[in-house]
Amino acid sequence: MKIGFPRALYYFDYFPFWAGFFYRLGIEVITSPPTHRQIMEQGLKKASDETCLPLKLMAGHIQALTNVDAVFLPRMVSVEENTYSCPKFLGIPETLLPAVPLGIPVLSVVLNWRKSKRQILKDLQDFGIQLGKNRTEIRKAFIEGQAWQKRYEDSKGAGWDFEDSLREIERATKGLTMSQSTPIHSSIPAKDKDIDRLRISLVGHSYLTLESYANLDILRRLREKAEVELTEHVNQEEVNAHLLGLRKKLFWSHAKQIYGSGNKFVKDPQVDGVIYLSCFGCGTDSMVQEMLARIAREQHKPYMVVTLDEHSGEAGLVTRLEAFLDMVERRKIHEGNVSTYGERLDRDSNTL
Amino acid sequence: MKVTFPHMGNAWIVIQTLFESLNVEVVVPPTNSKQTLNLGTRLSPESACLPLKLNLGNYVEAADKGADTIVITGGIGPCRFGLYGEMERQILRDAGYDYEVVILEPPDGSLLGLFKRIRYLAGTQNSWTQILKALRFAYRKSVALDRVEDLIHAARARLPQHMETEKLYEDAKRQLALTMTDAGLRETVRRVQESIRERLREVNRAEGPKEPLRIGIIGEIYTILDPYTSGDVEQYLGRLGVEVDRSIYLSGWTGNHVFQGLAPGYRSIKSYPRHAKPYLPHFVGGHGQETVGAAVKFAREGFDGIIQIFPLTCMPEIVAASVLPQVQEAYKVPIMTLIVDEHTGQAGIQTRLEAFVDLLERASLQRVIGQTGGEVLSVGGR
Repeated sequence: MKIGFPRALYYFDYFPFWAGFFYRLGIEVITSPPTHRQIMEQGLKKASDETCLPLKLMAGHIQALTNVDAVFLPRMVSVEENTYSCPKFLGIPETLLPAVPLGIPVLSVVLNWRKSKRQILKDLQDFGIQLGKNRTEIRKAFIEGQAWQKRYEDSKGAGWDFEDSLREIERATKGLTMSQSTPIHSSIPAKDKDIDRLRISLVGHSYLTLESYANLDILRRLREKAEVELTEHVNQEEVNAHLLGLRKKLFWSHAKQIYGSGNKFVKDPQVDGVIYLSCFGCGTDSMVQEMLARIAREQHKPYMVVTLDEHSGEAGLVTRLEAFLDMVERRKIHEGNVSTYGERLDRDSNTL
Repeated sequence: MKVTFPHMGNAWIVIQTLFESLNVEVVVPPTNSKQTLNLGTRLSPESACLPLKLNLGNYVEAADKGADTIVITGGIGPCRFGLYGEMERQILRDAGYDYEVVILEPPDGSLLGLFKRIRYLAGTQNSWTQILKALRFAYRKSVALDRVEDLIHAARARLPQHMETEKLYEDAKRQLALTMTDAGLRETVRRVQESIRERLREVNRAEGPKEPLRIGIIGEIYTILDPYTSGDVEQYLGRLGVEVDRSIYLSGWTGNHVFQGLAPGYRSIKSYPRHAKPYLPHFVGGHGQETVGAAVKFAREGFDGIIQIFPLTCMPEIVAASVLPQVQEAYKVPIMTLIVDEHTGQAGIQTRLEAFVDLLERASLQRVIGQTGGEVLSVGGR
């Protein structure tokens, strides 16, 4: 049996779990190819207008899954205790149904870590019946999946590259050749990593920061000129430590990661500037972005929001990035000693 | 302490009653207006949803009238409304408004924390029995209010004198706001009922009874409860001779949300998830699943059309909106989606409503004369 897994949205965070899960069950997982123009165009046709870019891409990736026996669209309600995924994640199996090619069945299962582990296992075991697997097999697969996920998450803290670690996982799943995709981000020679380079932090949803087609390769562009850190590079303890100051806890798991890491970056004197990568219509970002902007203003940290949508133009992005980097560099070199008098001048400024 | 709260349609009547019966000084912000929206938009993050912008506008206007404490309900997601209270507190503080924000929710799941917050609002002079009594009376008032509103929905479509119907509605609202007894509530509802019945009798005598088109309004709770936000959709449809019903009424929401389902409210929202099951089996936050369920329910009840309203970028409603075409297909009922934000113009909404009603009228007319479209001559001959 071959199951199709679209390379979008939760692929960027939770694919290792599902890869491990299905690997153990002996089910082959086929991922769609990295996003290209046609995938995006197909997605725009099938997804609803109001929804966000990542979901439209997801619709495209689903259509790109040919010769599979079923498309796997889990309902990732919650991935850790007391949090939720974005509401749009909760409705994926239904909202993206029109994108699934005719005749291919959809497999779906609820994954809800708000409930007990036993409930999750039960949901998975009910799902296993559809696959013709018994309870013990599912339990073993679940443990395997968690182990893979853990390994993947641990590796991120050590500064591993996302593409590299995923490639490793994909290599492990049987019958999957990744040879067609050439290494994308491993092109920075070690000698460039000297101290004089700017250090820029790019925060945002993993499915935007790591989706190099949709974000117009922002990561590579930034890495040409600066050291880049991502939300994923901050380990969980640090994220949690930087969430403590909140009067009201955030209830979206992604938003927690973004706010926690963003808060760390903004307060870190080593970081020269923070870029928030968002997409048009993102509900969680509309709140978190504002909260981060507020701290950035307080800390006088250069901060820029880049909003993506399906109409984003390369030239526009490049201009903005260059202007931002110039500004940060200038500030670093020429404005190291701002007088106390000057501090009052930009106290209320939005641009800093 | 002068307490204020955000507007949401007629909710102010109920909230004002609640605080006044506890002898807490309350400032009702001026009703939502262009001014409110402008003030709020200036302070809000650009991509926040419309209710947040209006809320902030309400607070700014209430601050001019001396309010210093905000009361708002909370939530734990996944709809972003759960973060409103904290977000608004930060924004207002930065903008120089010295507000205390009290979020009515169990902080980190602690009921004791919620009771402390209620105690803080109610002050020391009220016993818990008094607080409970006040809550129950406010709830009964919201049921009465919803009953009046529903009567008005029916009256608007059938009575030719639109302004008189609106006047009746406004008078009833004023009376309900003032009355502090159950007898007063009953009396107001009865008077509205009587007066509509009387007028209807005259109209029927003159023109014969009329079966108006029926349209169900579904969508995000704030936008459907607040007439300013939705561009007075219900009133306008009423003027076009359409009877309107709505998926969520104020007391139905409070019964489910505030009293945790202990009180059913007017038009309980409990049955919606069951109706939504074939199309959206899982809840998606906010009222997304309720929206789909209500659409199915309206369609089954034979409504002529359904209109979904939600603020731009509303996450749960976007999920619902992408499922609704299947409902439309299954029940052959036209569904229109209206998305509102701070740039929405009244004229744009009216044009779309008129077109939608025309479409429905044409469909029902064709059913009556037993023709289906396609023949040019049949159209010409009509």
